Amino acid sequence: MIQVQNVTKQYVLSKKQQKELQTNDTSIFAVNNVSFTCTPGRVFSILGPNGAGKTTLLRMIATILKPSSGNILVSGASVLDNAQLVRSKIGFLTGSTNLYDRLTPGEIVKYFADLHGMDKEKFMNRKELLFDQLNIHEFSKKRISQLSTGMKQKVSIARSMIHDPSVVIFDEPTSGLDVITAHNIIEMIRQCKQEGKTIIFSTHIMSEVDLLCDDLAIISRGNLIFNDTMENFRSQSSNQSLTEAFIQIVKENSTRIVA
Amino acid sequence: MKIIFTVIKKELTDTLRDRRTLISAIILPAIIVPLLILSVTKLQKSLIDKEGRKQLKIALIGTPETIKKEFEDDNFILLDHFNSETGKEAILKDSLDAVIEFHPDFLVNISQMKSGTLNLYYKSTNLLLYTRISEKIDGLKSQIINERVKQLNISSEAFTPIVISKVDIASPKEQIGKMIGGFLPYFFILFCFMGCMYPAIDLITGEKEKGTIETLLTVPASRFKILTGKIVTISIVGLSAALMTILGMVVGLKFLPDIPQDFLNSISDILSIKFIIMLFAMLFPLSVFFAGLLSAIVVRAKSFKEAQSLVTPMTFVVIIPAMIALMPGVELNWQTVWIPILNIALATKEIIAGTIGIGQYITIVLSLTVLALVATSFSFKQFSKEGMVLK
Repeated sequence: MIQVQNVTKQYVLSKKQQKELQTNDTSIFAVNNVSFTCTPGRVFSILGPNGAGKTTLLRMIATILKPSSGNILVSGASVLDNAQLVRSKIGFLTGSTNLYDRLTPGEIVKYFADLHGMDKEKFMNRKELLFDQLNIHEFSKKRISQLSTGMKQKVSIARSMIHDPSVVIFDEPTSGLDVITAHNIIEMIRQCKQEGKTIIFSTHIMSEVDLLCDDLAIISRGNLIFNDTMENFRSQSSNQSLTEAFIQIVKENSTRIVA
Repeated sequence: MKIIFTVIKKELTDTLRDRRTLISAIILPAIIVPLLILSVTKLQKSLIDKEGRKQLKIALIGTPETIKKEFEDDNFILLDHFNSETGKEAILKDSLDAVIEFHPDFLVNISQMKSGTLNLYYKSTNLLLYTRISEKIDGLKSQIINERVKQLNISSEAFTPIVISKVDIASPKEQIGKMIGGFLPYFFILFCFMGCMYPAIDLITGEKEKGTIETLLTVPASRFKILTGKIVTISIVGLSAALMTILGMVVGLKFLPDIPQDFLNSISDILSIKFIIMLFAMLFPLSVFFAGLLSAIVVRAKSFKEAQSLVTPMTFVVIIPAMIALMPGVELNWQTVWIPILNIALATKEIIAGTIGIGQYITIVLSLTVLALVATSFSFKQFSKEGMVLK
C-alpha cells in the first residue's frame, strides 16, 4: 500500500531561474499538498499534462527526492524516516531504457539483485522465471549496446522486478516505445496486479488508463484535481470520450488554481 | 561492505570494457611512455650524430697560413672569398655556417706572448657549431701554450696552478634518483590524474546523462556506499595508470641504447619492495584525492561534454606543481612537504636517491590521506544534493 499524505515539493528559484520562468516568485511548487492512497491488487494511475508534477511525485515515493512537507508511507514505512526499507519494497521503472551499455542483461540483473541483498538461490530462481517470461535467455549474454529498444526494455523490467517488490512504480513506462514493446509493459502491469502488488503508474496516454486503471488521480500544476475510481470517472464522463473529460477537468481546475 | 564491493565489482567490469579508459589508463602509460622515451632519445642521438658529422662551411678572413692548415680536414669546407660583411649575410641566408676573422695583429701578439684576437660570427641556433670550432681553437691554444712553455723554459704545470681531482661520492642510486626522479613523478602524477578523469566522468556524469542513476538510487543501499564504490573504482584505475607509467618508464630505460650496465643495475636496485611500498603508500591517497575531487566536480555536469570541459583545465593545476619539482634548487623540506602534488614529486626523487627523511615521508602520506578524506567528503556532499544527481 502507498499512502501519500499532504505531500508538497517546493523548489527555491534562483534569480536566473526566475528570469527564465518570467516570474517574481522566489519558489515554485512542483507538487502541492497532494494526498491519495494506492491499495494492493489495484492499478493506480496518475494522469496529467507535461510538467504537472507526476514524475516528481513518483520520485518522492521512490525516495529519490525528499518531500518538502507531508509524508509518504510505503507498506507502512515512511520515506522520511526509513527510506532504505521503502527502497527494499519498491521496483522502479521508467520509459527510457536506462541501462549500462557495456554490461550484459545477466550482469545487470545480478548487480541489482546483489544491491538488494538477494541470496544466490532466490536470485537464480527469480532470474530464471523473469528471463523465461520475458524471453531474455536468447540475448542474456549480449552487451546492452547490441540490443534493440524492445530487448532493452525487457531487461529494464527484469532489473526492476528481480527482487520481487510488493510495490511497483512505473513512470511513463511506455513513453517513446513501439507498440510491441509497450505491450510487454502493459502485460507486466497486469501480471503485477494478478500477483496482488501495489501498482502506481504515471502516463498521459488515455488508452492505457482505460485499459489498466482501477483508481485514477489527475494532477495539474502540482495540484491534485481529481482522485476517484476509474468507474466513477467513466460515469462522470458518460457523454464525452475519456480524453475530452480529462481535458475538461484540467482546464476547469487550471482556471480555478490560477484564480 | 558487501554493497561497496558489489558496486566496485560492477564498476570495474564496466570501466575495463570502456575503450577510452583502457587507452588513458593502460595503453598510453604502458606503451606510449616507453615508446616516447625510446624515440625521443634515439631522435636526439641521431640529430647530434648528424650535426657532428656535418661538414661546416667556414670563411676564414685574415688567417695566417700556419693556422689555416689546422682547419684543413674533412670536417670543414674552407672558403676565402668572403669579407666579414658578406660572410655575415651568407650566414643569415644559411649558405655559410661561420666566419672566423683574425685580427691583423694576431700573429704579432702571439709572438709577443700576448693574446691574439679572432672574431667568430655564427648562429647560436646552429647546434654543435660553437663546440666543434672551439675544439679546433682549443687545439691551437694548446700548441701555442706548449711553444711558450718551451720558450720560457718553465714547467707546463705553471699554466695549471690548480688541478681539481673530482671524487663523486654519490651512489649510482642517488645520481639516478636526482636524474630520473625528477621527471618520473611528473609522468605518473599526470597519468594518475588522467586515469581518474575518464572513469570519474563515465561513472558519475555518465550515469546521470544516461539516467541510470535514477534506478540506482531506488535500491536499498545508501548514497554513501554507492559513491564510495565509485570513488574506489576511479582510484584503482588512476593507481593502475600511475603504476603502468612507472613500469613503462623502467622498461623504456632498460631498452635505451648506450646505457651503462651500472645504470641498469641501479635501476633494478631502485625497484626494491621498499621503494614500491613507499611509492604505493603515497600514490593510493593521491589517487583517492583525485577521484574524490573529480567526482565532486563532474557530478555538477549534465553531460559528458560538459564534464570534460570542467575537468580538462584541471590537468594544468595538477601539472604545475609536478613541473615545479623539476626546477633546480626545489628540494623537499618542511615547507614543501605540505604542498600537495609537489610533495609527492619531491619525495619520489628522495626515495629513489635513498635520502628521504622518515618524518617528512610520514607527514606527506598523512597530509595526502587527509586531503583524500576531505575530497571524498566534499564529493559526498555534492552527491547527496537532489539537484546534483538528477539531470
